[in-house]
Amino acid sequence: MARVRKNEELEVEEANVLPVMNIMFLLIPALLLAMEVASLAAIAVSPPKFAAAPSDKKEEEKKEEKPLKFKVFILSDGFRVSTAAQQEGAEAGKEQDSSGPSIPLAKPGADATDYERYDYAALEAKAKELKDKAKHETVVTISAENDIPMQVLISTMDAVRGTDCKLVTLTDDDEIPEECLFFQPIVEAGAG
Amino acid sequence: MSMTPEELFRLKKEIKKAKRRQDTEKEAKLGMTSLMDIVAIIVIYLLKSYASDPVLITPIAEQKIPMSRMDMPIKEGVALYVSSRELIFNEEQLATLTDGELDANIVQGHVIRPLFEKLEEETEKSKQVFEARGEEWVGHIILIGDQALKFSTIVDVMYTAGRLEYSEYSFCIIQKG
Repeated sequence: MARVRKNEELEVEEANVLPVMNIMFLLIPALLLAMEVASLAAIAVSPPKFAAAPSDKKEEEKKEEKPLKFKVFILSDGFRVSTAAQQEGAEAGKEQDSSGPSIPLAKPGADATDYERYDYAALEAKAKELKDKAKHETVVTISAENDIPMQVLISTMDAVRGTDCKLVTLTDDDEIPEECLFFQPIVEAGAG
Repeated sequence: MSMTPEELFRLKKEIKKAKRRQDTEKEAKLGMTSLMDIVAIIVIYLLKSYASDPVLITPIAEQKIPMSRMDMPIKEGVALYVSSRELIFNEEQLATLTDGELDANIVQGHVIRPLFEKLEEETEKSKQVFEARGEEWVGHIILIGDQALKFSTIVDVMYTAGRLEYSEYSFCIIQKG
């Protein structure tokens, strides 16, 4: 058996880390490029026939109440809001009055590319008012004229959902927070 | 013979200079370990945040994704990119748009024909994978649209996917604030 002398110094050669460093440095910009710069999220929408199925308990509670059938139609000159009862602003005796919007534009003279020309605050106030009447309703049907831009549709969904509504922490068993109004949008084509 | 302090100083200086000349050049060693640690931590952090996204969404050129206050994360699904100029699926341009509207020739009764054909192929493959796993297939479309995209185009995309049994839809947005 070979003996190792006490005084003998073992020479350990250092690993050459430079190539690894080079790869690491290349990986950093590659990964930074792949990372999302803006925080992306998603709005779940349903087509009419796939409306969100409520739970049994909620269904029982709903049966006692008359369905609200909250509908928002986005027109080029404002929102037309209607419920099962009657369209907002419709003449007495008429269920609907399709001649005009119930919530006119906030900036009537603004260009069509100005997505903030709609009165989202008034729509949210209307949604709050309806939510007070029908606490368990969460569904809203949204439709629009063919040339309405996507940003207006999204902002409308935001308004009827409620400005302070946070859904990310909400689980199926949780009680719906008061600040969340109508957060289950159904996108319907050409519904007046 | 005694030396003056000045001469003594010069002599010492010269001796030092001569010593320095004789010294062999020592190789400077750069401590790479700490740098390696930092870089490794950065790479691991970036890889982790890259891997935690269930769906990788890379907006296409000239696409302005709508802004919203919605905070729900994006669920796994089929991504469809529609800018105000083109419709892209699986990195393939399927249709062109003019001012946010699809060419009338490719839309037949709300069905976008090129999208229907490509999506049908993918759906079949996806269904087979789910069937092999013994799981129920639920079609989910993620529409990565443009702020200026017309409502009629959104309806056409949803209708086309709906014909292929896609029952869940999400609109991709950029979170405000």
